[in-house]
Amino acid sequence: MPTLVLMDVSLSMTRPVSLDGSEEFQRKNLAVHGLNMLFEHMASNYRLEFTALMAFSSLWELLVSFTRDYNALQEALSNLEDYDKTCIESALQGVSNVVQQEWGSACPCQVVLVTDGSLGIGKGSLRHSLQTMKHRGDDKKFPLPFPFPTKLYIMCVANADELQMTDAMDNLEELLHLSGGDGQIFTIEGPLCMKGVQAMFGRLIDYAYSPFHAVLHCGNLSSDVQVFPRPEPVVVDDEVEPMPRAVSTDLEIVGFIEIADISSPPVISRHLVLPIAVNKEVDEVGTGATDELEEEPSASQMAGKNPNFCVLLHGSLKVEGMVALVQLGPEWYGMLYSQADSKKKSNLMMSLFDPGSGPLPWLGNISHLGPISEAAENPYGEDDSKSPFPVQPQVKRSYAQNVTVWIKASGLQTDVQKILRNARKLPDKTQTFYKELNRLRKAALAFGFSELLKVVADLLERECTMLPDSAHPDAAFQLSHAAQQLKLASTGESQHADFDHNIVPMHTDFSS
Amino acid sequence: MKMFSVSHKTVFVVDHCPYMSESSRQQVECDVLTKTRAQGVIPLAPVSKSLWTCAVECSMEYCRILYDIYPKDKLVNYIVSDSEFHILNTWKREEQGTHELMSGLASVGPPNPHEDPECCSILHGLFAAVESLCIITELQHERRAALMDTAERVANRGRIICLTNAKSDTSVRMLEDYVQETILEQNKVAASSDRRMAIQQCELVLLHIYPQGEDTLVSDRPKKEISPLLTSEVHSVRAGRHLATKLNILVQQHFDLASTTITNIPMKPTLNVCEQEEQHANTSANYDVELLHHKDAHLEFIKSGDLHMAGTSTRENTLKETVTLKWCTPRTNSIGGNELHYCTGAYRISPTDVNSRPSSCLTNFLLNGRSVLLEQPRKSGSKVISHMLSSHGGEIFLHVLNSNRSTLEDPPSISEGCGGRVTDYRITDFGEFMRENRLTPVSEYFIDSFEKLPVERAKAQLERHTRYWPMIISQTTIFNMQAVVPLANLIVKETLTEEDVLTCQKTVYNLVDMERKNDPLPISTVGSRGKGPKRDEQYRIMWNELETLVKTHAAASDRHQRVLDCITACRSKPPEEEERKKRGRKREDREDRAEKNGSKETDDKGWQDSERLKGLIDKEDQESEVIKDSPDSPEPLNKKPRLSTEEVQPPERAKGPVSLLTMWTNRITVANSRKHQEFVGRASSVNNKFELYQHLKDENGMDVHENGKASR
Repeated sequence: MPTLVLMDVSLSMTRPVSLDGSEEFQRKNLAVHGLNMLFEHMASNYRLEFTALMAFSSLWELLVSFTRDYNALQEALSNLEDYDKTCIESALQGVSNVVQQEWGSACPCQVVLVTDGSLGIGKGSLRHSLQTMKHRGDDKKFPLPFPFPTKLYIMCVANADELQMTDAMDNLEELLHLSGGDGQIFTIEGPLCMKGVQAMFGRLIDYAYSPFHAVLHCGNLSSDVQVFPRPEPVVVDDEVEPMPRAVSTDLEIVGFIEIADISSPPVISRHLVLPIAVNKEVDEVGTGATDELEEEPSASQMAGKNPNFCVLLHGSLKVEGMVALVQLGPEWYGMLYSQADSKKKSNLMMSLFDPGSGPLPWLGNISHLGPISEAAENPYGEDDSKSPFPVQPQVKRSYAQNVTVWIKASGLQTDVQKILRNARKLPDKTQTFYKELNRLRKAALAFGFSELLKVVADLLERECTMLPDSAHPDAAFQLSHAAQQLKLASTGESQHADFDHNIVPMHTDFSS
Repeated sequence: MKMFSVSHKTVFVVDHCPYMSESSRQQVECDVLTKTRAQGVIPLAPVSKSLWTCAVECSMEYCRILYDIYPKDKLVNYIVSDSEFHILNTWKREEQGTHELMSGLASVGPPNPHEDPECCSILHGLFAAVESLCIITELQHERRAALMDTAERVANRGRIICLTNAKSDTSVRMLEDYVQETILEQNKVAASSDRRMAIQQCELVLLHIYPQGEDTLVSDRPKKEISPLLTSEVHSVRAGRHLATKLNILVQQHFDLASTTITNIPMKPTLNVCEQEEQHANTSANYDVELLHHKDAHLEFIKSGDLHMAGTSTRENTLKETVTLKWCTPRTNSIGGNELHYCTGAYRISPTDVNSRPSSCLTNFLLNGRSVLLEQPRKSGSKVISHMLSSHGGEIFLHVLNSNRSTLEDPPSISEGCGGRVTDYRITDFGEFMRENRLTPVSEYFIDSFEKLPVERAKAQLERHTRYWPMIISQTTIFNMQAVVPLANLIVKETLTEEDVLTCQKTVYNLVDMERKNDPLPISTVGSRGKGPKRDEQYRIMWNELETLVKTHAAASDRHQRVLDCITACRSKPPEEEERKKRGRKREDREDRAEKNGSKETDDKGWQDSERLKGLIDKEDQESEVIKDSPDSPEPLNKKPRLSTEEVQPPERAKGPVSLLTMWTNRITVANSRKHQEFVGRASSVNNKFELYQHLKDENGMDVHENGKASR
């Protein structure tokens, strides 16, 4: 889930923070300090996250587009300049454009808005935007909610009391609500100082950027892993099951399936599964990042040399062309597979299915998948020539069975012509003739279309009179038999118009 | 769509009064004569459908699409109304389906034109419809049972689609009022029944049908709220294709559907898209097919505002919109077969014109197992594959493929991470393991007969199969030996047959035989200096490992235990060890108990020990080592002493007469032991312990084992 940091560089951010005796800071310095801490954390613990930095005042500017180069982001932070007034609406419009251009509208995105809670004055201020948003045309719509799923984190370099003195807090809450409600407003607790801003960003990190650690199990084989990006809780049906479901930190493999059998299943999200060394404490926040750098090579070298289950699993999945079904929680499953980025680089990936026991109709109920050893005979065959998948539905879909639809005249005409075509090839086509005849009869009875039965009976009788001399004598018998049966059915009398009854060929014997 | 939205239950109420037998006055020419046979034959008069036939076939088309796209839990109850109501099916899952409804319709037959119109009324049907909406469905019942104390989360909503011929706007109002009253009445009845639920929301859709060429007496009216419980809308439609179009639009609205038109489908016979068309192959016309599916398949277009760009067209006579996607000729037969596409959704489809030639050609092509990628036409000319059509088990799905930049691009390769530098993983063996642990659907019939769900049994099998599973080749001997395969495959089974035990025993005898013949073992010399361990040392490693494997399963059954007994009885042991065994009987018993407890710790340790084995054996040869209780599997350095399994001695179960084999092996063992001189240390040990490198301690005044590594 990419992150876009939206940094307020309006003049109000340069307001000094009064501190007794020590060096004087601006709010901007505090904000930059906090963001540096966030970037450092991400560089060491969340380094696969793509992050962009955007600065705004009355205008906005994309300083660093989406990148994993956290040095570049930090450098851009150190070169921030000061501009005029705060205008959040235009900046949000910019966010919307930038994100959609990069990631489309389906990819969820986190927006970290860093501001001092002074939200502009007059036209372009947030207050003004919120007041006027309901009275605008479609072309000037307020940019929230964004088209893509959003988590909005508002980092205020101000404390809650200060924000509540004006309507700033109300406006920010309204903003969060408009974005879809997913996110949080953070304020500094206590006096504005380095410590306070550290604590505030620490809370953001815990809330949104703590790595998701889990243990991947396959029976007694296991590996500690980081799942990236963090799997988000999912709400299945807000009415029946309003509590969001979260992925368990124990990921249990339940068995294996061929790629061809799972066949491009729909997934709600994709994640990298990265093996991690157990003893290494990766959860440290910000501080001490420099110390770690020295230790890291040797630590990672050690880890590289110890056999790890993920690597074994990945290798075999890749070679065999299989996926592992993995249980993520009660009645929730996903799959593990090898994903190749290029010829050389490949990775263990996990995709999450929709929660529930039957996310893929062609696998049936996943809880009802059992080991092949318990089947009477190997469902894959002795030479792997068969497969128990896909699971066939009990009832065929309309396009897989020969349904009768006469809404368009052509549908009806085709069916009548089919019967006549076969009628002219009697007795060779006796079976097909009666099959088509019975299909028409059934539909006509269901639709209450008795007139059609009479007409087709007439047509068959006419065919009978037009039979060439060379025709087989059986043809005439069958045609008049069929015509008579249709006429009987058209009377609607129950003994002749039974839906499940089939007209059978007349028994004739011309062999003697 | 919520699970229990109004779309969960749909009641069709179709008017069966005498008036419905009137002709729709839309004529169909049945007698389409071919040119050659036209001479002298007077064509038969065209037929025309009755209002009833029109209503029935259009409602059936609605149901067909609905069942194609929602085969489960979007339910239809079909009611016919004349002088009384006829309920053709119930909410039960097995009574859902067009075939079931058609059969019911056939038994009702067309309306009787001679029936007294005064006795007939649509009200009978509407009454039955409201009553039916109160009746609980299987899904509602299951969910209520599952939610227990929050059962009130299961809502009861529904929709009534009434096809009738009304006399005027006033009579329409009368119908609405009647439904409203009946709901209030039935809700009271429902309150006192377990099998009924009060209706919380009902949508009434009234379709007034009138013959072609007549003026309507009823005016259209958009949806309006009659009461908090009831909304109503009125559509006045001419019978025939107007009615069909109307119901097609309604089914899309009611079930969140959207339309996609696949264009540019080639009729080339080489593609086998349309085999029937082969004779006309010289005219390689391309054709279009329209499909309906859940509208989420267009989500990306709608959100990005690309809908228009994607080729939305407003077709003649209909206000319906369709998104155009272009057919991409499949490259190979295997497309979609061995490739995992990143797919964000898969939605069932239903062709709008199911038995037209182009539709059936496309669906048959897909049902035969081919997949087709679909391209989103863009103005810029860039090619974006946005969807894929593919069938699974006789059902066709429209897959939505991700066409945006991935947030996971350029990840670190797995070879750069933990365990990435290890090169001798047992990839092939694990592949074999995966094949053995593939899954298969277990039919409902068998599920009750097991205590555990099949998926739990699959997990249990994985647990058994991985009790001892070294990940790298240089960690194992037995899994590199063809001779061990029969035993290794059998011992992981939950239950063994007598025959299995016999096979295992044969495997063991075979190993004994190999040892006697001094056959080489595939012990890897990776990491060890020199030639590696000696032959008898190799066999000791092998036997230890085999014992470790079998021990993890010994507790499963007596037969498993017998395999372990066989191994312990057969493996050769230096005679002094036998000696020691007698002396250490007491301690052994203690171990035996620990083993029987089957504690995980012991399993793990057995595992760890054998993993460490190779390296330690190595050390043992080259540097000093404290000879602990057993030379077989020394304790790791710097670990507290503990109850351990390294002493792999047989729990003395076979107290009976000694078998011929045992006698023979013992003899061989004794003979072998004579062939070498006893180690000095062992000979002069105290309590079987002898401290090595005593001089070092004297010199340095420290324990060498504290920094065993440094001393290497």
